[in-house]
Amino acid sequence: MENIQKNKIYEEQFLLLAFISIVTFKIVMLPQYLISTASNNSYMVMFFMVAIEVMMLTVVFGIVKNGSILEQNIPKWLKGALAILVFLSSIIKCTVRGSEGIAYISTSLYANVSWTFITLALVITCIYIAEQGGKVLARSAQIFFWVIAFAVAFFMIFSQINLDPLNLMPFKISGELAIAGDKYLMWFGDFTPLLFVTVVPSKNHGKKRLAIWTALAVLCVFLFSVGLMLIFICTFGNAGELMGNAFLNVSSLNKIFFMIGSADLPTVLSWLVMYVVKFSLLLYAMISCAKFFFGDKMIISLICGIIVYCIICFGIGNLNTNYILATSWLRYLIISIEFAVIIAAYIAMRVSQSKKQQNAQSDNLAQPNANQTDMTQGEI
Amino acid sequence: MKKPKVVNKKWLVIVIIIVFLMVFSLLEEQKNVSARSIVLAMSVDLIDDEYEVGIQLLRTDLKDKQEFITYSTTGAHLTEILEKLSHDSGGSVSLCHTMVLILGQELLTKDQDRAMRFFIENEELCNNTMIVASKDSPLETLSVKLSNGQGGGYYLGGMLRNIVTDLGVIPITIKDYIKNRYRIGNCVYLPCVSVEKTGETTFLSVKESFITDGFNYSILSESATKGLSLVLNKLKSGELSYMLDNKMGQVDIVKSSADIKVEPDTANVKIKAKLNDRAYVPENIDEERSVEVLQKNIKVYVEECFSACQEKGLDIFYLGQRAYAQGEDFYQQNDFLKNMKLKVEVNITMK
Repeated sequence: MENIQKNKIYEEQFLLLAFISIVTFKIVMLPQYLISTASNNSYMVMFFMVAIEVMMLTVVFGIVKNGSILEQNIPKWLKGALAILVFLSSIIKCTVRGSEGIAYISTSLYANVSWTFITLALVITCIYIAEQGGKVLARSAQIFFWVIAFAVAFFMIFSQINLDPLNLMPFKISGELAIAGDKYLMWFGDFTPLLFVTVVPSKNHGKKRLAIWTALAVLCVFLFSVGLMLIFICTFGNAGELMGNAFLNVSSLNKIFFMIGSADLPTVLSWLVMYVVKFSLLLYAMISCAKFFFGDKMIISLICGIIVYCIICFGIGNLNTNYILATSWLRYLIISIEFAVIIAAYIAMRVSQSKKQQNAQSDNLAQPNANQTDMTQGEI
Repeated sequence: MKKPKVVNKKWLVIVIIIVFLMVFSLLEEQKNVSARSIVLAMSVDLIDDEYEVGIQLLRTDLKDKQEFITYSTTGAHLTEILEKLSHDSGGSVSLCHTMVLILGQELLTKDQDRAMRFFIENEELCNNTMIVASKDSPLETLSVKLSNGQGGGYYLGGMLRNIVTDLGVIPITIKDYIKNRYRIGNCVYLPCVSVEKTGETTFLSVKESFITDGFNYSILSESATKGLSLVLNKLKSGELSYMLDNKMGQVDIVKSSADIKVEPDTANVKIKAKLNDRAYVPENIDEERSVEVLQKNIKVYVEECFSACQEKGLDIFYLGQRAYAQGEDFYQQNDFLKNMKLKVEVNITMK
């Protein structure tokens, strides 16, 4: 019961988590990689893939409105199978995608600091948040949201970008787009961690308000991912293939930066908080799955943290290995798991719901008979 | 009996995180700011297949006396050179505040962008580091002590930031440089700086532009440079001078931009300029005639810029890229640029 309470989040919080989940890893290295493969039309790949993710997240929303996947009335063996798959997907995403964030911190915040210390600091923080449950995670995202909002406002007020739409031309649909979409699959399909929260309607907001928030969240997702990609291409053209860290490179082009030399802290921080939420969300999914098998113990979270730490520091260790792993066959495994789990969870939920309805109907049918029998007996 | 709680778990975690963050820099041997050599300006040139790199630092003593110090060294690899410079300057060389990078002509035409890619890919320099080409040795331009007491590199960095939308040279950053190199034709334009001396006064002149595609190059005169900025830059300031009936007039640029359309044998340049005649207009000069003269002058500037580059096979107006953007492929023909004719249309509005 305590567990259910720990993972209950409101609809708006779910939207915020979904936004962070989709956007975080798409705005750092991915634009550079996409341009290197599909040049100036690569924003189309981003648009297409993000649109699919948004659609899939509506399915996830439908599932978790009825409760977290582990708390739903579906067969235990199926829950176990889904938990294994999500654990596998989350651990790979956590380490392969997570190390991208470590590289970001080691170069953007410090001058090439060793990964071991950064990973340690991050894993401790994120395990702590993840261990507290979905509610704390969503609340943290809500608090961190203001850092992101400030960075966006700062960018909009002071931005000084020389956009050249010529870089987007000509509009061409080619095979390179499919190649790019295939090669960078690992950066897409971030749905499963959200299956472990339970979404409840917020107390104050009506359906109309939820619709507005949903529309805003979808708009923000496209602005942050596809919009940033368009700005990135307009600013750097095909030279974008040399510019890592698109979010920082685009947003650092502001008036203050040109006047005093460095004003990229709002951006650095805003991505960092998004990363903390995303990393915690992946760890949260891992911990939830592990706890399903081994019980709700603190030690499980610590072991998950240690595993992630060891893989990032000693298995991956640098951005090149990270890239090789992210573009290896693992990407097919991840994307299959992400889609398969959602579809399976949805079908299982519908079956369990229809069974529930059937039971309720048969109960209702049985009830009048029972009443009748009682009455007859009474009469006798 | 319940044991009294000595430490609250939540606070224990917070204290651990604080301690961890405080000792973080000690654990990782992060260099203190005072142990770093903050480079204000830098020069790179290629001499006999070796890089010659110079860095300019600012040292202040207790009496607030400022001194610009230049260190230089040569070597085959930039990493090795930066290490040498760190050793010489007594602190780890930090390039993240470098205002300007002064490049030699040899480096710009013979290095095939190896040095530039090093700076971009390793994110050694920040996004707003300006780059210029030097007519003289870049090291000389960097280290020259100007009459105002400032170091050449430092002065140049500050000056370029203030003339971004002015008529004249177009200041560009290292990222702009790479962006332009990736365009069809690989042509880049940089302000070209030279050290000038008049009597005892030493100053830096930045009136010309250096155009290169990585192999060929052309140095544009002051008037051709004006043509370049009228076509490729969005101007918001600057002065245009003209002569009419042996009288000199001058107008301020309020706003100016250009649009280029390319056809297989013609490039049509349309310049729209909003000018202000409050600066200096001699009496009894007809405004209509002034506008005509200004239109003519602007045409001459643009044509001079185009022909100087066309002669060297440099596609400075990115006509190839524009043709590609229009979905045409005639830019792939060998004599595409050679046969190109320029049509300039100038539309002036006086405010």
